[in-house]
Amino acid sequence: MGAYIIRTTLFKLVTLFIISIVSFLIIHLAPGEPSQIDPLNPRFTQEDLARYRAAFDLDKPLPVQYWLFYKKFFTGELASLKDNQPVFGKIWRRFLISLPLFIVGTIITWCLSFPLGIAGALRRYSVFDRSTTFMSYLMISMPSFFLAYILIIAVVQGFTLPFTDYHVPGLEVSVLGIETFGRGDVSPLFRINDRIWHLVLPSLVGAIGGIAVLSRYVRGQMIEVVDSDFIRTAHSKGLDENTVNYVHALRNAGLPFVTMFGLILPGLIGGSVIIENIFAWPGMGRLGFEAVLARDYPVILSLNFISAILVVIGTFISDILLVIVDPRIRL
Amino acid sequence: MLIKRILLLLPILIAAALFQSYFWVPTFSDQTRGGGDERLRQFITGSIGDAQILNPILHADTASGAIVDQIFEGLIDRDRDLSYRGRLAASWKIYEEAFFVPHPEGPGAKALVERIERARGAGEAAWLKNIDKIESIDPAEQKTAIRTPPAKGEKKPGKKDIVIAYPERVKVTLKSVDQDLFRHLEKLLGKNGLAKDPAPYVKTKLPKPLLPFAARRVKLTEHNPIIIFRLRQGVRFHDGHEFDSGDVRFTYNAIINPKNLSPRVPDYEPVKRVETPDRFTVKITYKRLYSPAFGSWGMGMLPEHLLNEKKIAAEAKQKGKDPKTFSLRDSAFNRKPTGTGPFKFKEWRSDELIRLARNDDYWEGPPEYHEYVYRILPDPLTQEITFYAGTVDRYGAGAHQVERLKKDPRFQVFSGLGFGFAYIGYNMRRWPFQDARVRRALGMAVDTRQIHRYVMNGEAEDITGPFVKQSPHYNRSVKPLAYDPKGAERLLHEAGFRKKDGVLMKDGKPLAFTLMTNHGNEIRRAVGTVVQDAWKKIGVKITFSQVEWAVFIRKYINQLNFDAVVLGWSMGLDPDLYQIWHSSQTNKGQLNFVGYKNPKADDLIIKIRQEYDLGKQVSYAHALHRIIAADQPYTFLYVSKWTALLDRKIAIARRLKGGRLRPEKIRPTITGNFSFDFNEWLKFPRIPQFEN
Repeated sequence: MGAYIIRTTLFKLVTLFIISIVSFLIIHLAPGEPSQIDPLNPRFTQEDLARYRAAFDLDKPLPVQYWLFYKKFFTGELASLKDNQPVFGKIWRRFLISLPLFIVGTIITWCLSFPLGIAGALRRYSVFDRSTTFMSYLMISMPSFFLAYILIIAVVQGFTLPFTDYHVPGLEVSVLGIETFGRGDVSPLFRINDRIWHLVLPSLVGAIGGIAVLSRYVRGQMIEVVDSDFIRTAHSKGLDENTVNYVHALRNAGLPFVTMFGLILPGLIGGSVIIENIFAWPGMGRLGFEAVLARDYPVILSLNFISAILVVIGTFISDILLVIVDPRIRL
Repeated sequence: MLIKRILLLLPILIAAALFQSYFWVPTFSDQTRGGGDERLRQFITGSIGDAQILNPILHADTASGAIVDQIFEGLIDRDRDLSYRGRLAASWKIYEEAFFVPHPEGPGAKALVERIERARGAGEAAWLKNIDKIESIDPAEQKTAIRTPPAKGEKKPGKKDIVIAYPERVKVTLKSVDQDLFRHLEKLLGKNGLAKDPAPYVKTKLPKPLLPFAARRVKLTEHNPIIIFRLRQGVRFHDGHEFDSGDVRFTYNAIINPKNLSPRVPDYEPVKRVETPDRFTVKITYKRLYSPAFGSWGMGMLPEHLLNEKKIAAEAKQKGKDPKTFSLRDSAFNRKPTGTGPFKFKEWRSDELIRLARNDDYWEGPPEYHEYVYRILPDPLTQEITFYAGTVDRYGAGAHQVERLKKDPRFQVFSGLGFGFAYIGYNMRRWPFQDARVRRALGMAVDTRQIHRYVMNGEAEDITGPFVKQSPHYNRSVKPLAYDPKGAERLLHEAGFRKKDGVLMKDGKPLAFTLMTNHGNEIRRAVGTVVQDAWKKIGVKITFSQVEWAVFIRKYINQLNFDAVVLGWSMGLDPDLYQIWHSSQTNKGQLNFVGYKNPKADDLIIKIRQEYDLGKQVSYAHALHRIIAADQPYTFLYVSKWTALLDRKIAIARRLKGGRLRPEKIRPTITGNFSFDFNEWLKFPRIPQFEN
């Protein structure tokens, strides 16, 4: 185990180094310049533009820029080109805002996928199974921005039931942003619940795609295990249905999902650009998106590199977890 | 079975926990009505993007600009009719000091002074009457540096210090700026009056190839326009410190300090020096005639006492940064600014909102609103929903929404023309665009009305020249090119083109070229399609292509490698067209990329930027507008309209005696700016009825 950890750590460091080079090159080879450098501003002379390029180190050869960037990255001196604020401070504040969205979304995804998948597998080809399968494919195919719009309009303004004249009234409450806008001093209980309410729609929209995919996986895994020999043996031993399904079958069907747990980690930094944009949620996804629009290299590259680190750590955790839960695996 | 129960109960519990929160949330009507009067005293506006840096000398984005305008104030701004109006400056005076070197073979400076004095005594001419004082000044040496061509084996140009020795010169002080002064003097003093050859005044010994560079630095004649601002007394920054001339000087120094990397530097480059004769007087001397420079004093003024070198160094130390590299750009001030404007900074939550509170101490009287809130709502549909819900007061409608929203009784509608235009530019270095008839014919073949109606949903108007359409400089007597494909064909025939197999040919070459624009702009793409179709009809072979913006600029525009482009300019109100239309700006990477060269236009462009008298400037601008419209270097397509909606309950609140408020209708300025009287706006509980 010890040797394994040392070996993988080394491998992963090399991987990170390569990632750092590739992502740096891609950003700098892509056309465009930071938005501060505006060649079409009639007031800017070539000298002015050169002054900006020099201030952002863009006039130096790429290897030097690479070295300067990662030096600043590791010493924490990196500042955004837009407002000269330290990049890590910016990322950290946005991270804290995106975190609840991520946690609630993940909880909803995992808590709904398992019951749905298992129920589908145990009652294969029943009406329930067919309708969840249909819904899953519908939700996988539906673009999340469309779903978000539909949900917002339906919740806020209400909707008319199809084929009738009956109008379901909307709730007429704020669903955008992280809390109801312009609320003065209210008791903490109101405030907390207000924040929770603002989590409902965005995390639901974020989770729906995940539920659709994950519940299919659970169903597939479960079906595979239920059909296997040891389950038949368990049945023939005369164990009751529930013990067979939820103790013997589920435990084995659940193994592959342990690996997925580690891979949730990089999702922490990604945020969701589309959902955060539509719901006016000032989180990580927005930070990254606006940085890309303004070619704010320090922010883009930092986000990229941090998520690369998280992917590497995530896969590592998955490996370790698998060893812990499945005694058959040796590293 | 425990696991089964958990699997079933957990989702139900979570759903219950999430959905119960709904009962704690206020509805929109609670929100807009709730809190009593406070909502009426709050103005909320929505924006797609967040501000970047709240500093008037550093920001370059519109969101920051909107906030900075509320917190900071300049010395002047534009009034309802676009004339200048004093803000932090109570009054100002513009005059000129001019210098010239006498001809070495003619009479000396003292003799020339006497001759001019005599002419002044006898003369009736207006330019002579404009002279306030005339004197000779002692010889002087000036140290300066020239840039030399790169030395062998090096890339960067070199630098060389030189000394220029001026002999006794004549100094003329004028009551008002006169760009023709030296022309008049030349006429008066004859051939041996003003020196012509700059070379003898370069004192430093230089190798021959460098001499012309040095000679260019010698100023045989020099205009030094001077602005004297008298500042308003008793204006205080939001922290109570009094505003004075030191703050103006500080703001100027902060802009030109290269460490701060201010995008405003080019506006202040013509300034020679800024002096503060006393606490409330600022004297600004310019290196040369440059009338648009006056408008630059609308720049928000920074508080010196919070940002001076000591304070910045102390902040660097406190943050553990190197004081040598730490600049105003890094200061925490940019995220919690202090100015003299009608609103004070209160709170900034990144990508969420910026909150300003009214400045009760504002010199013109505090605004009616208690709070100004800037919400960041990145999605257009989201913004629309919040506007309908009443949690945003102002909404910029898209062209496709105008028809529908105009009729809504809940809103008042404002619309106006943008500052800018869309055009097709022709590369005049290439065949056949050198011929004005070809450019005109191509313009005549395009039905711009069709573009206005179908591409722009009717939210656009004709424009015929390069000035802001609402400004006095725009020449309304210039008529737009009429849509006339038959006439276009006649004109091309006249230019020597003959149709062969449906394609126009001249000297065996077909009239074929590529029209380009940037990728991702739907409107330009649609314009390109309309134009392509129109030109095909008269027999032009045309390909239309779209390229990613950065590549488009770098590889095609900057390299002057294109036939024709669909693009747009956005402009300011000042009528200076030098960078876009002057013949000296036609090199690679410069903005006259179409290569427009017309000596008459050049002359007028220079005259416009040197003229301080609005009436004269307007007449030059009208002449220039006519020349450009005749040459058709661009086909001017349209100026777009904007439409903004405001809650109808908002009106101007006039304070009557006895404290009663009378609502008055909001009146836009001639450029369409409806928030000119923003400080007097208020939201009334009900839609106000106006007495006329």
